[in-house]
Amino acid sequence: MEAVEKKKAIELKDVCINYRILNATSVRKSFLHKKQREIVFEAVKHVSFSVEEGGILGIIGRNGSGKSTLLRSIAGVFSPNEGEIDLKGHSVSLMALGVGFKGTLTGRENIVLSGMLLGFTEKQIREKIEEIIEFAEIGEFIDRPVRTYSSGMHSKLAFAITAMLETDIMLVDEVLSVGDERFRKKSLEKMKALILDQNRTVIIVSHSVETLRELCDRVLWIHNGEIKEIGEPGKVLEHYLEFMRA
Amino acid sequence: MFNLFILILPPLLAWIIHLFLHPEEMSWKKKAVFCIFYFVLVNSFTVTVSCIRGVQGLRFNDMTMSYKIKYLCMGCTWALVLPFFVGVLTGGGEGRQGLKKETGKFFHDIRMYTHYAIRSARADLRAEVSNAYLDWLWWLIEPVCMMLIYTVIFGVVFKASEPYFPVFIFIGLTMWSFFSRCISGSVNLIRGNKAIITKIYMPKFILLLSRMFVYAFKMMISFGVVGLMMLVFRVHLTVYILYMIPVLAVLFLFTFGLGSIFMHYGVYVNDLSYVVGIVLTMLMYLTGVFYDVAKRIPEPFGELMEKYNPVAFLISSMRGAVLYGQAPDGVLLGMWAVVSLVLISMGVVTIYRNENAYVKMI
Repeated sequence: MEAVEKKKAIELKDVCINYRILNATSVRKSFLHKKQREIVFEAVKHVSFSVEEGGILGIIGRNGSGKSTLLRSIAGVFSPNEGEIDLKGHSVSLMALGVGFKGTLTGRENIVLSGMLLGFTEKQIREKIEEIIEFAEIGEFIDRPVRTYSSGMHSKLAFAITAMLETDIMLVDEVLSVGDERFRKKSLEKMKALILDQNRTVIIVSHSVETLRELCDRVLWIHNGEIKEIGEPGKVLEHYLEFMRA
Repeated sequence: MFNLFILILPPLLAWIIHLFLHPEEMSWKKKAVFCIFYFVLVNSFTVTVSCIRGVQGLRFNDMTMSYKIKYLCMGCTWALVLPFFVGVLTGGGEGRQGLKKETGKFFHDIRMYTHYAIRSARADLRAEVSNAYLDWLWWLIEPVCMMLIYTVIFGVVFKASEPYFPVFIFIGLTMWSFFSRCISGSVNLIRGNKAIITKIYMPKFILLLSRMFVYAFKMMISFGVVGLMMLVFRVHLTVYILYMIPVLAVLFLFTFGLGSIFMHYGVYVNDLSYVVGIVLTMLMYLTGVFYDVAKRIPEPFGELMEKYNPVAFLISSMRGAVLYGQAPDGVLLGMWAVVSLVLISMGVVTIYRNENAYVKMI
C-alpha cells in the first residue's frame, strides 16, 4: 500500500446535468402555444468522485444511465447545470464512436483539424501524422473524404488520433469494441501502453465487463444518473453482473 | 393608424427578441410588465435622439412621411439593440463583472483558434474544388456569369444604366453575395457542425469565422476580376481606391456581428432559415445591387435607404471609391463600424452565455 497521497487529476463535486426536452421551437409554435410544457430530464444526479493522476477509472451501467453524458461534460462539451468539474488544468480529449470529423474533408486534413482543436500546434501534429496514419491502417483512404469511410475506418482513425496525440486525460467512450479482431487487439495493446504511463489519467466507458476488469484500477457503476457503487473492479463488476442477471 | 404603428412596432420587436433571449418559463404578468417596459424604453430612446437632433416633441399632425419612416427605422434599430443590454444587465446576476471576463475570454479565444479557423477554411475550399471538373475556375465563372445575366436583364431589358455598368453591378453583386451567404449560412451553422461540437469544446463563433473566411476568399477572387474589368473598361484610377480597405473591414465586422446573432437564434428557432431567406431576398432589392438606390428610389426614401441600410451604404461607398473617385462619408462609415462592434459584442456574449445549451438542443 502506498502511503503517499496521490494528486487528484479530476474532481467532480455534486454534479447534476439536465436535458430540456421539447425546447426547440418554431416561429409558429412559439406564437400559438405560448406556454410549452418543459420536461426536464435529469441525466446525471448529484455525482461526486475523483480520479487520481495516472489512475484508470471504468464507468459501467445500463443504456441511458448517463455514462456518456457524464463523460461529455468532463470533456467540456457542455457544462453541468449544478456542481463543479475541476480538471486541475489538464488537457483532455474525448474518444467516442464516430468522432467529430468533417465529412467533406480528407482523413489527413481531419487529423490536422482535430489535433488543432485538441490544442496542439500544427508542427506537433506534423511530427505525429505519419505515426497516426500508420496506426489507423486505413491505407490510401487517408486522402479520400471521410464520408466515404466505413464505420470501422471512421473509428479506427478516431482512435489513432486520440491515442497518438497524447493529452493528460483521455476519455474513452465505447471505442474499444470497434474494428476487426486484429485492430481491437492492437488498440487494447496501445491502451495498455498508454495506461502504463504514470502521468496519464484515463476514464473508460464500456459495456464489456472483461475489458474493464483487465484495464481499470477502479470502477464506477452508475444507475439512472446516480452512483450505485464505486471501488475495486472485481467487487463492483460482480455486483453489476448480479444486478443485470436479476 | 400609422402613427400608432410606428410607436408600437419597435417595442413589440424588442419584446419578442427579449422573450427569445430568455427561453425559460415566464408568467403572463412578467411578460406584460416587460411589454410596457419596452414600450417606454424604446420610445424614450428614440424621442431622446430626435430631441438631440432638434425635433421638439411628437406632433403627429405636422410630421412628414420621411420623418415617420426615420422614426420607425430608428425605433427598430433600438429594438434590436436594447434587449441585449437588458439581458446582460438583468440576467446572470454577474452583470458587468461577467462582461469583463467574457471580453477577456473573447480575445483569448480569438488568439487560440484563429489559426484553426483559417486552416479549416482552407481545407473547406480545397474540398469544394477537389470533386469539380473545372476546379477552382468555378470561383471565377460563377460570379462572372451572374454579372452577365444581371447586366443583360437590367441593362437591356429594364434600361438601367450607370457609368461602367457591368463593373458597377459586379461590385454590388460581389459584396452582396458575401453578406447574404454568410448570414443565411450562419443560421444552420451549429446544426450543420453537430458532429464536431458534440465531441469537443470550441468557441462556437469560430465556426462562423471559418465560414466567413471561405466566403471572404471568394470575394477577394471576385475583386481580382473587378480589377481586370476596370482595366478593360479603362476606369480612371484615383487614390480613393484605398478606401476599399476600411469599407471591406466594416463589411466584415458587420457581417460577423449580425451572423453571430443569427447563429444563436438559429439553434432555438427551427424555421428561422425561411424567414432569413425571405428577408434577404427583400433586402437584396432594397440594397441596390443592380441600381443606384439614392437615385432610383423616390425622394426621401432613396437617401434614407442608402444611409440606414448598411450593406447599401457600403456597396455605394465601394462603388464611389473604386469607380468614381469619391471618398465615402467618414462619419457614417465610423458609425456603422461602431454599430458593428456593438453587434459583435452582443452576439458573442449571447453565444458565450448559451453555448453549453446548444449541444443539448441539437
